[in-house]
Amino acid sequence: MRTKDLSYWLFLAPVLLALTLVVIVPMLLGVYYSFTTWNGIDTGEFVGFQNYIDLFNDQRFMDSLWFTTKFSIVSVILINLIGLSLALLVTGRVRSSKLLRTTFFMPNLIGGLILGFIWQFIFIKVFASVGEIIGMESLQGWLSTTDTGFWGLVILMSWQMAGYIMVIYIAYLEGMPKELLEASEIDGASSFQRFRYVVFPLVAPAFTVSMFLTLSNTFKLYDQNLSLTGGGPYNSTEMVAMEIFKTAFMQNAFAYAQAKAVIFFVIVAIIALVQVYLNKRKEVEM
Amino acid sequence: MKDLKFSKGLVASLMLSAAVLAGCNSGEENASGSEGGGEEEVTVDIFQFKVEFKDQFEDVVALYEEENPNVNIEITTVGGGEDYGAALRSRFASGNEPAIFNIGGPQDVADWKDNLSDLTDTAAAGAALDGTLDGVTVESEVLGLPYNQEGYGFIYNTRLFEEAGIDPASITDFASLEEAVKTLDSKKEELGLESVFAFPGKETWVTGLHLSNTFLAPEFDNNVLTAFDAKTVDFKYADGFKKIVDLQNEYSKQPTVSLDYSQQVEELFSLERVAIIQQGNWAYGSIAGIDPELADNGVGLMPIPVEGIENAGLPVGVPMYWGVNKKADENVVKESKEFLDWLYTSDAGKTAVLEDFKFIPAYEGYDTSKISDPMSKAIYDASESGNTIGWVFMGYPTGWGQDELGANIQKYLSEEASWEEVIDSAKKAWETDRAK
Repeated sequence: MRTKDLSYWLFLAPVLLALTLVVIVPMLLGVYYSFTTWNGIDTGEFVGFQNYIDLFNDQRFMDSLWFTTKFSIVSVILINLIGLSLALLVTGRVRSSKLLRTTFFMPNLIGGLILGFIWQFIFIKVFASVGEIIGMESLQGWLSTTDTGFWGLVILMSWQMAGYIMVIYIAYLEGMPKELLEASEIDGASSFQRFRYVVFPLVAPAFTVSMFLTLSNTFKLYDQNLSLTGGGPYNSTEMVAMEIFKTAFMQNAFAYAQAKAVIFFVIVAIIALVQVYLNKRKEVEM
Repeated sequence: MKDLKFSKGLVASLMLSAAVLAGCNSGEENASGSEGGGEEEVTVDIFQFKVEFKDQFEDVVALYEEENPNVNIEITTVGGGEDYGAALRSRFASGNEPAIFNIGGPQDVADWKDNLSDLTDTAAAGAALDGTLDGVTVESEVLGLPYNQEGYGFIYNTRLFEEAGIDPASITDFASLEEAVKTLDSKKEELGLESVFAFPGKETWVTGLHLSNTFLAPEFDNNVLTAFDAKTVDFKYADGFKKIVDLQNEYSKQPTVSLDYSQQVEELFSLERVAIIQQGNWAYGSIAGIDPELADNGVGLMPIPVEGIENAGLPVGVPMYWGVNKKADENVVKESKEFLDWLYTSDAGKTAVLEDFKFIPAYEGYDTSKISDPMSKAIYDASESGNTIGWVFMGYPTGWGQDELGANIQKYLSEEASWEEVIDSAKKAWETDRAK
């Protein structure tokens, strides 16, 4: 390998430059703003940790954080379960597996905002009509309560992301050495044992990737939240990203929102790093 | 050979960086080129929010540019209330400041004060109707010019009222309204109604801003600045407020918490499946899009009754103002003022405002017989006769109306909070916000 000479840095320069300009500088600026009374127009005065102190007494922020956590846990489990099941299905001996793969992946190609509106229609109109026909009261008035809003978001998110996660699992499942499976078969392992002791450890790297993607995506969710429930009813289905946005642009508390964003960033970073670290330990080296 | 490869890479990367930098450069040159191109030419950048009239506005501006070849007007439209505020802030932050932009109520004026030029000496400011400049006047300086006037109330279907035998003129207080609603409700089947009202609890601006305004305006003397300066809010008419919310909710299609504007106006009212909705003249376009006949001849607008006040008028106000950037070039400021004057006080401008934009003018000297839709007519008549109540919601603490009160009304509608809790929490939030 070549030592890190001039050309090494030259090739790296465009990326470093872009990263500094669009990620690192704005982030440092943001952290600075969170210590001021910035209102989006002038920087205002320096107030130290005041915004951070206020934030821990902010019931609404805490509520949204809790709602986001619940949502993430449920979605991560569901998306990975469904994604893995779909992957197993289409890598098995199904005839139209190519077609199925495409179909399962398709929801991911539609933008989150539009998906939100489509599902809003399904939950409010289609559910209500179907409920009327089959006489199920529980299908009425979806999205008008906190619970149905929550499950609405979970369903939407699972439906959208499962196909994407499926692709990742497929890649690992197909890359699995056939001789290992054959060997386990000859040794007399049942299909469950084969999955649990051979397939599972081998696709563990896929778990690391998929969990990371789903976790960070569900935690930072904004557009689906906005178009599906808009945080309603009474802001009870409002996730952190949306809460921060509203603090900034509806209450004009830009510096305060920035402080929330910094805290949010720290939380997401910690969770993601811990998760990757834990998953990495479970992976086996081939 | 190896060296050659290395230098090739070096050259490639250098060229790449050069290309990137050149890209930045040429962009800047172009921008400054268009400004300094012709010596006489002045470019006025307009950054406005009203998507609905973008096309008509651009046509009118083209007409103005034809008459004034030395003025070049660039329009950028970013729609929807909250997005606009964010977009405007980023325009200013980026240094690419517009010459003319929009401001809402007193809070916007306070935020942008350093960037707003004094418009007191413009002809348009002189022609503005009484009271329309209240919200943008600071120390006798007029800092904004009204777009237009808008108003809201209960929009009702005249045919259905007639068939049910109700005279809208007889509805003057809460009792008579309740009476009429009950009559309509009992005849639901024959009239083909799904319900009497469609109450859009999801739209917190309908409940938290507009409806609450009806009951808070008397408390603040109908003056937006009184509301803006008020340290506390009493909710003197909280009971009347509750009654109207309850009435609309009880006789509405359920669940009201997730009922939105398009369901309310387009699906239910325009298809004549409900008889009354709480909306304003802006709904004309939505109704006309589905049933133009209904929009032009089949609807009426009546005030929302406030218990304890006789003959409460229609709430009429100015939704948005034009501001001129003080920090722009002197020439640009001058041309900007001239353009706004032309738009609202010249004959060609007036015709456009009335007939193309379909605005309810906030200025005198208009031939108002040209206002065609019945709701706008009712609003203009009310504002001329002075029987209106003000729009104090522009002076609410930022976010209070929608995010606090509106959200809490949703809570009330979901039976998660009592009315007292809603009012108490709203009062408290007002005080904490104003104590800052």
